[in-house]
Amino acid sequence: MSYSMNDIPLESHLTQKRRMSHCELEAPVMNGKKTNGVVTRRWRKNLYETRGLPDNYTDSSFLEELRKNINPSNITTIEAISFAASVSVQLNIVILFVIVFVWLDNEWIAPNAIFVFSGILTLAGYFLHTFKKSDMLEKMSKDLRTVLIFLAFGYILSPILKTLTATVSTDTIYAMTIFMFLIHLIFSKYGSPQVSLSDSLSITSSIFGSLMLASRLVSPLHAFSLLTTAVLCFVLLPFVMFQIDGKVCITIVLSATTTYLLYVISSTISCVFIGVTIFLQLVCPLCYIRWQTYKENIYGPWDEAVITS
Amino acid sequence: MGQTRHKICMVSDFFYPNMGGVEEHIFNLSQCLLGRGHKVVVLTHSYGDRVGIRYMTNGLKVYYLPIKVFYNQCVLPTMICSLPLIRYIFIREQIQIIHGHSAFSALAHEGMLIGRLMGLKTVFTDHSLFGFADASAILTNKFIEISLSDCNHCICVSHTGKENTVLRAKVQIERVSVIPNAVDTALFTPDVSKRNNDFITIVIVSRLVYRKGVDLLAHIIPEICAKYENVQFLIGGDGPKRWLIEEIRERNLLQHRVTLLGSLEHSQVRHVLNKGHIFLNTSLTEAYCMAIVEAASCGLQVVSTRVGGIPEVLPPDLIYLVDPTVPALVQGIDSAIADYVTGKQMCPFKAHKQIASFYNWFDVTKRTEVVYGLVEKEKQKNLGQQLSSYIPTGVLPYLLVVSLCYIILYILEYLVPKKYIDLARDYGQSQNEPHIHTKVPRKKRGSNS
Repeated sequence: MSYSMNDIPLESHLTQKRRMSHCELEAPVMNGKKTNGVVTRRWRKNLYETRGLPDNYTDSSFLEELRKNINPSNITTIEAISFAASVSVQLNIVILFVIVFVWLDNEWIAPNAIFVFSGILTLAGYFLHTFKKSDMLEKMSKDLRTVLIFLAFGYILSPILKTLTATVSTDTIYAMTIFMFLIHLIFSKYGSPQVSLSDSLSITSSIFGSLMLASRLVSPLHAFSLLTTAVLCFVLLPFVMFQIDGKVCITIVLSATTTYLLYVISSTISCVFIGVTIFLQLVCPLCYIRWQTYKENIYGPWDEAVITS
Repeated sequence: MGQTRHKICMVSDFFYPNMGGVEEHIFNLSQCLLGRGHKVVVLTHSYGDRVGIRYMTNGLKVYYLPIKVFYNQCVLPTMICSLPLIRYIFIREQIQIIHGHSAFSALAHEGMLIGRLMGLKTVFTDHSLFGFADASAILTNKFIEISLSDCNHCICVSHTGKENTVLRAKVQIERVSVIPNAVDTALFTPDVSKRNNDFITIVIVSRLVYRKGVDLLAHIIPEICAKYENVQFLIGGDGPKRWLIEEIRERNLLQHRVTLLGSLEHSQVRHVLNKGHIFLNTSLTEAYCMAIVEAASCGLQVVSTRVGGIPEVLPPDLIYLVDPTVPALVQGIDSAIADYVTGKQMCPFKAHKQIASFYNWFDVTKRTEVVYGLVEKEKQKNLGQQLSSYIPTGVLPYLLVVSLCYIILYILEYLVPKKYIDLARDYGQSQNEPHIHTKVPRKKRGSNS
């Protein structure tokens, strides 16, 4: 088989068209009927009339109904960067959580302080979240009960939760945690609501990751405060984040904080973090915009109709 | 007749006892080819305990290969596991042309690959349309591009299907023929006496799945029922979306006006169609819609969505073509009902006659024979040429698969040499024809009598 046969059909069919247009005059033989060199009516796109043309005849109207890029996505650079910001906010949250773990692990901070601090942040976030809603009081009493149940059971069970993965070696714990947080980052909800299918997977994996980290801490109280922080970061925070506009500003503030806190722990990691943030925040959106021109969507009568209702 | 006798093997995952357009196509085409003196063998996977060889009408030999179904009625395309068996059958039946059916069928692609490596000619009939948008379509399109890059000829069932195949499988344009499906119009005759003239009956016969537009149907039924007092619905077919129709029926208290018949035997379809006045098809995509041809052949007024190859199938005076939206479909039914009430609709018998002149399997068979003739004349390719035709698809690892299959075929030639494989006797071959193995039994028979 020659190479040219597998050319892109769009191009090859143009040359084909010219060749095929003679077909009409030559009137090939089909079913033994000769049309005497005259085809009275033109070929039409239907199956119930045979006009004495061979079955592999291609008319000049071939692929006439082909449409390309009907709805191009005109995303501006600013929009792309602000979409990317929501990814980098999530990354920042994960890293900040790990920093809290490091602080607790090195006992640079008392667990009570973390607990109080996260409690204050939760309250602030909660009011920010519920203020806009009408049935605030009713909702608040319900939520208060949930919080109390969570705190009571969390506190009672924290010794068990702490020893749950205590026998697993530290390297395995760290590797698994990284893996879990990666899953969390991949599947978390970044703005577009139609990809919320794996929302629960994202939450579960992040909680599982923090549970494993908790087992490395010294006391159940440490574990309890870390888990509280985990719930705050991965379960509650997305609700607030979803409402806030101006992700770019948040990213800048958060990234700066994270970089500083990472620098305290290790300067290498903070450099890596800066690199990753620049890549996520600038390089990826710019590439996305640049590569839009390579996109070629094909539409035609063969497409499945979409039900609009 | 002065024409060559082809030995054809139809390969597809879809065959009786499964029901559908592809199955229908294979069976009818095979029957007509047998009638014209060709040899036809069908290769499919096992259905339940249906394994082995079966003979159908007119000695159509069907091999139900002992391969388990993997997904959606298809076998797992392992490429090598069933190779010895398929090779054995091709040699045993002295096949010359492999005719694969349906892009979804893994067995068809596998059979075509093995056939090509054995130096046989391959023809492929594509029965479906694909989009280009989603990930699964991209994958299947690549797969079919690889499979068809070395195929001798493709057959599509509509012009839209041809455009689609050329675009997505990048097949050379003159290697694609358009040969429509047909309908056995002798089976689908109008019978006005079966109609209930107190009501206008709207018939729907299709699998109740998303692609057939069940979601549209669910909106249309209550709207039409509210609009007309004397309209009833008759729905044949089953599927995962049946609950939707049942729910709509219950919620709008339409139990007496919407009848769900469940899945129908092909022979029952005609009786159901004859009870109706209007046939409704709400498909969202369709390469060639057999159902509307069957309905039109029974003299029903056909209301259908304008998708895929449907506009090519029937002339405008036999069909009400509308956009695939609820208001448009309701409007289509409105005008069909108005035409029926004012008596402007086409006489059922005239419609039947017209359909019979458009589509019949003999015509399809003749046109397919032309393709077989073309393919037979083509030069045989050697392995190098065959492999090089896969290169433009860009999936180079596939070359290794093909090479592996080739090597296995070579090893098999050593283990199970071709000359030791029994050649199957053709069905209907007369008994007095000389045959080596008949010597001994003939003696026995003589001694018994």
